Amino acid sequence: MKTSNHKDIDRIFNVNIRGNGTRPMLFAHGYGCDQNMFRFIYPYFEKDYKIILFDYIGSGKSDLSEYSNEKYNSLDNYADDIITICNHLKLKDIIFVGHSVSAMIGVLAFNKSPQLFSKMIMIGPSPRYINDIDYNGGFEESSIMELLETLDSNYLGWSKSMAPVIMGNSDKPHLGEELSNSFCSTDPEIAKNFARVTFLSDNRQDIKKVTVPCLILQCKNDVIAPVEVGEYTSKSIKNSTLKILNATGHCPNLSAPEETAEAIEQFL
Amino acid sequence: MNNNKESKKENSMRLKSALDLYDNAPCGSVSFQNDGLILDINKTLAVWLGYSKEELIRKRTLPSLFKIGGQIFFETHFFPLIKMQGFIKEVYFDIVKKDKSTLHSLINVREIPHSDNQNISYQATILDISDRWHYENELLKAKQLAEAESKAKADFLATISHEIRTPLNSILGIGNLLHQTPLNKNQKEYARLLLHSSEHLLSLVNNLLDLSKLEAKKIVLEHVPFNIVELTNILQQTFSVRANEKGIKLSVEIQENTPHSLIGDPVKLNQILTNLIGNAIKFTKKGMVSLSISVEKNTKSEVCLHFKVKDTGIGIPKEKLEFIFQEFSQASYDVSVEFGGTGLGLTISKKLLEMHQSNLNVTSELNVGSEFSFNIWYTKSQTSIPKKETIGTDNLKNHNFNSLKVLVVDDNPANIFIAAQYLDLWKITYKTANSGLKAINLIKKYDFDIILLDLQMPKMNGYEVAKKIRKLKLNLQPVIIAFSASAKSEVSSELLEAGINDHLPKPFQPIQLFELLRDCQNPIKKKNSLYSKSIKKPKNNTITSIKTNVESFNLERFQKMANNKPEYLKKFRLSTLDALISYQKDFKKAIKTKDINALSDLIHKSTMSLYYIQADPLSDLLNECRRILTEEPENKSLIIKNKKKIKDEFTIIINGLKKE
Repeated sequence: MKTSNHKDIDRIFNVNIRGNGTRPMLFAHGYGCDQNMFRFIYPYFEKDYKIILFDYIGSGKSDLSEYSNEKYNSLDNYADDIITICNHLKLKDIIFVGHSVSAMIGVLAFNKSPQLFSKMIMIGPSPRYINDIDYNGGFEESSIMELLETLDSNYLGWSKSMAPVIMGNSDKPHLGEELSNSFCSTDPEIAKNFARVTFLSDNRQDIKKVTVPCLILQCKNDVIAPVEVGEYTSKSIKNSTLKILNATGHCPNLSAPEETAEAIEQFL
Repeated sequence: MNNNKESKKENSMRLKSALDLYDNAPCGSVSFQNDGLILDINKTLAVWLGYSKEELIRKRTLPSLFKIGGQIFFETHFFPLIKMQGFIKEVYFDIVKKDKSTLHSLINVREIPHSDNQNISYQATILDISDRWHYENELLKAKQLAEAESKAKADFLATISHEIRTPLNSILGIGNLLHQTPLNKNQKEYARLLLHSSEHLLSLVNNLLDLSKLEAKKIVLEHVPFNIVELTNILQQTFSVRANEKGIKLSVEIQENTPHSLIGDPVKLNQILTNLIGNAIKFTKKGMVSLSISVEKNTKSEVCLHFKVKDTGIGIPKEKLEFIFQEFSQASYDVSVEFGGTGLGLTISKKLLEMHQSNLNVTSELNVGSEFSFNIWYTKSQTSIPKKETIGTDNLKNHNFNSLKVLVVDDNPANIFIAAQYLDLWKITYKTANSGLKAINLIKKYDFDIILLDLQMPKMNGYEVAKKIRKLKLNLQPVIIAFSASAKSEVSSELLEAGINDHLPKPFQPIQLFELLRDCQNPIKKKNSLYSKSIKKPKNNTITSIKTNVESFNLERFQKMANNKPEYLKKFRLSTLDALISYQKDFKKAIKTKDINALSDLIHKSTMSLYYIQADPLSDLLNECRRILTEEPENKSLIIKNKKKIKDEFTIIINGLKKE
């Protein structure tokens, strides 16, 4: 963001700061949604930490005009954005919480500016989604290509149909008004490009360079990041702890927030 | 007792019918728990999918029935949203049946409220939209095809218009030349008609090109600073000749409080006003045409201007008012016969205004007059934009271009020659290339500040060359200025796309080139430069005209270009002399072997030089020579006659140029 001034950074990344503590906990959402991914998790840490939430450019309430396919053609630029936000907020000693692809974005950010980070928590990380010789990522290359084709065909535009309908929702009192209808509804072009850079990435060499203590949270039954991948990640990072959760799926932060928060609290 | 029994029986009947409805409903139904595991499924869905209930219940998860793309989508988008919102309506998924074929479906999900928060379950209703999916697919294909065809048509129209314009420009030029030669009364009239018709045709083609580009949405609004007073001054100058000829008064009034410095698209505004004023003058036989500009609304940063073009012309009948904006429609056939015109001007103006989120209003009374008006919002410029100053002759001479390095790219040696003359005069370092490929090789080797690039070149055209240059990894990207025969601003979006900074129409006046080069030195000024420039001709040539054989050539054009500097004129004269001597040799060679191709080459490369010295007779003779050579059977005497005439012309011109 060489051209943006400080005020702009808060706006374009929709930065939200909460909590009563001073030690920063930076929550980075994964592919698909936005900072609301953590809404059941961060309340557990508000008392003791400074909570920083943001949306990647192209997601949630970020400034879409900052997005370009050319700029965000690899995870590298997302990592640069993390560093930009950290520097802008003058964060130090950061506890980084990255869900899904953000775990790898965090790794890349660490490799660029290791001094910023003190601990990393990775929820459902995968250093490579596509199988390789002696590596089981969970997907054949053809399945990822099929995913990209699905996105390309744009029939009924995935993301467009995902704009949530927020009406007087008495069943869900915890849903504040601030949940905008931007949640999970990205521009189809951006969704496609983000999917491409996410699912075709290979960060197996990058994770080896992480030196800070890491917690890897792995669900039992995760289509996107199978247990084997969690084990691989844990083996590659020297100073890491692997915690297998009872939760299933790819989003324990949503399906089992209590268990997830407990695991993080223990680690911290 | 009896009642109780009956009510139990009734209840069980109702339960049975409810279950029956659930199982045999016309839509699929499936319930699943937090981790996606299927808890129950109705018969309809099981049958659709080709599974037995037992194969699915508590054995499979719902996402595992989706294609891989759907599974990822479920985890990254769908599931988080249900968690947040409690329900989702009509999201599209492909479900894989047992036989691996696909069920195209819409899924509605709602959370089933549960006292125990840990055991939340969900109920999904699934609609089979396979038929709709196929229909929509067909429609989508048909739409894509129709769009592609429409685009192909628009492209074709644009291409053919462009192709037509090139020879048309020559017809016009030759018509002009013909008009200036001694002709008898009949011939004069024919020449006038020829000129008139080709001008009409050219404006028709230009309008068609504009319209096709507007329709293909290839034209974008610019946001550049401009001075409204300057713009209207030029309009007034342009139209005053025509108005005077018809004895009509032409007035321009700008309300006093109107801000002069604006940011917007002056080229489009000019086009709209040109159309309206042109029409007004055309349809007015006596009286007046007026343009008035006033402030409609005024805010701190923006101003809404009201433009009104009023005439005392023939007016438009009420019943025709709604048709005048349609393509090729004029109020009546007689109108088009009497007044001419393409009938496209208003359509284009209206479309240009639509781009400005505005529209064109018209009021008219038959035989009294018409009034066209519109509003446009402009951003007020914070800095005042001066009216373009004319360059003094001192500036031309004394301006120091320092170490400016220029590359001239043109396949036509005559054009390179002309540009080179000026660059020499202004002491600018330059290199030349006669093809895009050579240009790129030079750019790889040397640094250039400015590239003067011809757009119409064989093999690699100017746009391609510019794009290639922009892709090169250079320390400093040069400013690229395009030469083209194209008129107006129509090329601007293509220019931008190709990374071309500015555009100079051919044939250009030296001051235009000078201004551009000077602006390039000063990047702030460069931004202000428009694609079309108004050029004021230098006044009062004090150099005494060199009297030679008036019929053969004259140096007026050079004198104008030399802008009162004898040393420039001398340079022009001597370089043209060199060129003519070499053309003379070329001609002798070509005529000896009766080589038509060599002759064509000669005609092509000598065009610009002959144009500048107005050697029209020689130019005509050369063309005639080519025609005679192609004639069968060979007309020997005619060839000899023609050859002698050409030799004479060469001698006269060369001797004339040699004289002090």
